[in-house]
This record gives sequence, C-alpha cells and structure tokens, in this order.
Amino acid sequence: MVSKTEEAEVNRLESQADNGGGGEWEYLSLVRKLKLRRPDKVLKHGLTILNDPKKRSSLGHDEWTLYEQVAIAAMDCHCLDVAQDCIKVLQKKFPESKRVGRLEAMLLEAKGSWAEAEKAYLSLLEDNPLDQVILKRRVALTKAQGDISGAIQRLSEYLEVFMADHEAWRELAEIYVSLQMYKQAAFCYEELILSQPMIPLYHLAYADVLYTLGGLENLQTAKKYYASTIDLTGGKNNRALFGVCLCTFAVAQLTKGRYKEDKESPELQSLAAAALEKDYKLRAPSKLSLLGSTLRSLKLSS
Amino acid sequence: MGGVSRYEIGQNAYIKLVLHALKHKTSAANGVLLGRLSGSDASPVVEVTDSVPLFHSQIGVLAPLEIALIMIEEHYGAQGLSIVGYFHANERFDDAELGNIAKNIGDHIYKNLPQAALLLLDNKKLEALSKQKEMAPVMQLFTKDASKSWKLVGSDGSSRLLLKEPSANIVLMDYISSGKWMDIIDFDDHLDDISKDWLNSELFK
Repeated sequence: MVSKTEEAEVNRLESQADNGGGGEWEYLSLVRKLKLRRPDKVLKHGLTILNDPKKRSSLGHDEWTLYEQVAIAAMDCHCLDVAQDCIKVLQKKFPESKRVGRLEAMLLEAKGSWAEAEKAYLSLLEDNPLDQVILKRRVALTKAQGDISGAIQRLSEYLEVFMADHEAWRELAEIYVSLQMYKQAAFCYEELILSQPMIPLYHLAYADVLYTLGGLENLQTAKKYYASTIDLTGGKNNRALFGVCLCTFAVAQLTKGRYKEDKESPELQSLAAAALEKDYKLRAPSKLSLLGSTLRSLKLSS
Repeated sequence: MGGVSRYEIGQNAYIKLVLHALKHKTSAANGVLLGRLSGSDASPVVEVTDSVPLFHSQIGVLAPLEIALIMIEEHYGAQGLSIVGYFHANERFDDAELGNIAKNIGDHIYKNLPQAALLLLDNKKLEALSKQKEMAPVMQLFTKDASKSWKLVGSDGSSRLLLKEPSANIVLMDYISSGKWMDIIDFDDHLDDISKDWLNSELFK
C-alpha cells in the first residue's frame, strides 16, 4: 500500500521521464521500492537505460537488478522476446542462479506453458521448499489457468505457514469476493484487522463485505467498521461516509415497526451526510445536487 | 411481447467501456449501459446511448454499487434515459464465461426491463481488431430468455448487437494507440477522489 505523497512522487518522476527529462533510474528504483505494477512505463524507461551502454555501465551492480525488473515488466506486457533477452544476459552473468531460475520459470508461465512452468517451480522448491515467491507464483499459475478453487487451496495452504503475509490474505479475500464467498472473505479481513488494526483499508473492506452479507447483525457491525474507518482516516474516506449512510438506511428498513428504543440514533448518519456534503461542495460542486438526492433517498423515514 | 429485440450501441458508450477494460487489464472491470427502448412492437430496439464505467476492484461488494446506481439513475433519469444493461470484462484473457456477479446485477436490471442486456468483453475479438477490420462490437450479448436464464445471443450468426456508428472500431483503435484509456474515470476513481468526474464529460472533447 502506498501513501498519497509516495504516489505523487512516483507520478512526478514518471511524467518527468515520459517527457524526456531524465531521472529514469530514480523512477524505476521508487517503483521497485513501492512494489508498484506499472509494466509499460517500467519497460519503456528500463529499456532506455539498458539500450544505452553508457547509462548501463553507470549503474554498476544495479545493472543486474534492472535487467530483472525489466524482464518481469516485459513479461507483464507480453513482450516475451525482450524478457528472454534480459534473462539470457542474467543467465550468462549468474549461471546456476536460483533467482534467474525463477525468472525462467516465470517466462514459461508468461508463454502459457503451464506444465513446464509448474515443473520448473517444483524443481526450484526442492532445494528451498519455503521460498515464498515461488510458492506464490504457483498460486498465480493455478489462477492463470482458470482453476480458482485450486488457487484458493494453494493460497490457503501457503497462509497456514506464512500467516503474517498480509498481501496474501488480501489476495485470498479478493478471490473470495469475486466468487461471492463473502463469509470466507470476512474471515480474511478479520485476520488482517487482528494483525494490523490501524490500517483503515482493512476496516473498510471488512465493512463492505459485511454490508454485502446483510442481515441486522452484519449491518450493525458493518456500520461500526465504516465508523472506525472514518476515525482512522480523519473523516476523509468518502466510501466509509457513504457506508454509514447505507447501513443506517438498511438497518432502519429491517427494524421498521420495532420499538423506538431499538432504533439507532440518526446522529452518525447526519454527521456522515454533512461531511459528504461539505466535501462535494468543495471538490465536486457539479455533483452536489446528485449527492443531495442520493442522501435524501437514504434518509431515515419513520 | 412483440418481436425479438435488437441492441444498438452508440460509439461513445461503446468506446468508454472498452477503454475502461483496457485501463485495468489486470483486473475485472464493469459498467452500466444507459439508454432507452425504441422501435416498434414488431421490431423493438434497445438503444444504448451512453455508459458509465463502474469499478475495477472488489467487484462483488454491494455498497459502492448501490451508491453508483442511485446517482446514475438520478442523473440519467432527468434526461429520460434509464439503465438498460450491464457490461463486464473478465480478469483473465481466456475467460469467456458470464460470471455470477454479472448475472446477479443483470437480474436486478431485468426486474425493470425484460430486454436488459448483459455485455461481456470478447478479449479475442478485441485483440484481433489490430489485425483485421471488424464491423461488429467486440462484445458478446446475453439476454434473458423465456427460461429465465441468461443466454448468449447471436451464436447462430444473427447479429442482434450492432454498433450504431459503423466506424466505431476504427475510432476505438485510434484511441487505443494514443493511450486514451489513461483518461477514463470510473466510479471507483470517483469514490477515491470525488473531484474525478465519472461522467467522463471531458473525455471526447
């Protein structure tokens, strides 16, 4: 996950490089550090450096890191020849390297040679059965072939060993959501919130899943987690603000006719609505009236 | 009920949906189709005059979808248009299946409009566009038949999904090569930054 300042910086470096202002290496290093996926830009700017012998040699040892980064970006862009060329260079420099072996297996994956890629990964795992990158590539391999339940199984097995891998929990949750397996997705978000309780993204995602599951208890809990998201983001998360409004409305629908004491107080919804109105007025005034009618259709009506 | 419906998709509506899918190649993407019913009883036409790209992440959670639909129905209702269908682009290139999320959203639209259209991006046709001229939209059309299940339309060769402007694919290819898909804004983008306009009103200017 990337902060707004980090994202702004990488975008700045990207347009600088795009417009011929140099700084390709700084851009590529930041992309690597933040683990961003921008394959077309990485490919373009990486090749600018690699194809220029002077620029290349000024990198020193970093040259090989760049070959690896460009190889992966090339595979992502389906420029398999470029990937192959980069890998050849690395094979020459580092024969017998496991890290290069991994790239070779990834290239097989990119070509769609599923069985060969699987074989390559398994053989790499023989010497290092706990290589997290390879274990996760096997999950990706399964998913790429369309075997989603297989991917779930492998990812779950992986998480039994590496239960602190947050990105893996997120991936599993997203797979579950795509299959509408919301209870299972909720479990993943619960794990994430337990281990990293101050990250608003997890609270928000959890609330979204609970809201989707529906039912009074889930809606009430969803509202709590939309509220905690608002808390953790200083009131700046519009998704959570909308979430609070939706939950209040949905709960009101379900509790119609019950005793007034059971009903929730409308304060939280009013505050959320006011915050939304303030933000839209400031930053999206053309949509303010649309917001108004949306909020009106969600207002508690007794 | 009358004759079998034809579906005519306008250039801007069509291009927005494909560009959106291209902007988010590594995930699924979806959108709604806006338009109206026209033609005669014997020859009904569903005109898709506009589209709104919706999401490219966590497709399957309801809250953002509900907000989007309320706003979209409100905005387009004032223009006399309504939601006439849904567009989905699968995450994987080889996946040509209409998933359950698409069907569920389709069911919801079907409640108000039995001629509701589900459009699925056809990745192979899209890829082929750069190699050969293509007059038909690079999408597969599904409608709900009498058996109440979503069926692929046109596999018998009948073309019931047509591009209103015959040059739409040429314009699309132009936009693809100029990287226009970078400018597409969807509802996800709007929720993350409300200053971003999900109507894409400046896109084709």
